[in-house]
Amino acid sequence: MAQAVVAAESGAVAHAAHEEHTTNTGVSNPKLAMWLFLSSEALLFGAFISTYFLYRGRDAQFRKGPTPDKMFNIPFTSVTSFILLMSSLTMVLALAAIQRGDHRRLRIWLLATALFGATFVGGQVFEFTEFYRQGLTLSSNMFGTTFFVLTGLHGVHVTVGIIWLLLLYGRSMQNRLPTEKSLAVEMAGLYWHYVDIVWIFIFFAVYLIPQH
Amino acid sequence: MTETTDVDVVQADLGLVPPSEGGGELVPAGGEVSPYDHEHPGPRQYVLIGMVLVVITAAEISVSYMTSLNSNVAIALLGCMAAMKFFLVCAWFMHMKMDAPFFRRLFISGLVLGSIVYGIVLFMFASTVLVR
Repeated sequence: MAQAVVAAESGAVAHAAHEEHTTNTGVSNPKLAMWLFLSSEALLFGAFISTYFLYRGRDAQFRKGPTPDKMFNIPFTSVTSFILLMSSLTMVLALAAIQRGDHRRLRIWLLATALFGATFVGGQVFEFTEFYRQGLTLSSNMFGTTFFVLTGLHGVHVTVGIIWLLLLYGRSMQNRLPTEKSLAVEMAGLYWHYVDIVWIFIFFAVYLIPQH
Repeated sequence: MTETTDVDVVQADLGLVPPSEGGGELVPAGGEVSPYDHEHPGPRQYVLIGMVLVVITAAEISVSYMTSLNSNVAIALLGCMAAMKFFLVCAWFMHMKMDAPFFRRLFISGLVLGSIVYGIVLFMFASTVLVR
């Protein structure tokens, strides 16, 4: 209690929004688990990005078929990447809103994030469909296999994030997401930002490098 | 004069004790307010970071279209810009800059481990990487 008073007196915005931390470590266990999970995800995505790189130069040697430089529509993917990047901004604004106790803005930003995410996934579905029409399938060549598995896995992660955000939105609409439960939004935010930073590297490694 | 317990030592080793402890400010591990719940940036700062990210993305796309640029130079530039975006999102949006150093260390450990493991794999097959 005294500590909270000290925080208030020192002018710091002590985040009352956060749940109490009563662990021995002084940090919340769910957050610790989330960071551990994200750390392990780095290894998962690292494996698929490395695999994509390993097979990228070998396509022509193995089978003939569509190759990255003939398939990618960089302007289109740039727009969807931009949308995903902006969804990170709306996500962090949602967290700031709940920490301020502004539940109306929380709902707006949560919904905006979910919509941006859905637009990104929609763009990915469109891209996959176009590639399929042009003859690139999961088994047409090594490019198809590594590309669809890597970007598809990322797309699944985004979809899980959208569902999570919509669940939070639903909870907020039912007034079951008070300011004290802001950790729930923070956790979803950590996951969402992680999905975003993974895309930053996929966009760089898969889409931009083949241009050269 | 407070006694240093084993828990304090372990917390310090893990980077869980805030630097402000000596100053007698917020020190409540297990208390009502987390020592790491410092001031988070405001919406204005977040928007500013978002704008920087947009500018970097635009530069990234421009570089990818510069056919006159040496292939490896372009890749290095693109890699640097991707790393900048990664750093900005991690530091500001994921609050890694303000949160407990332990989380940062945990996350970086995963990244370093992954980089070493896959770096070795890619090195072994270097002839297939960065080749058109």
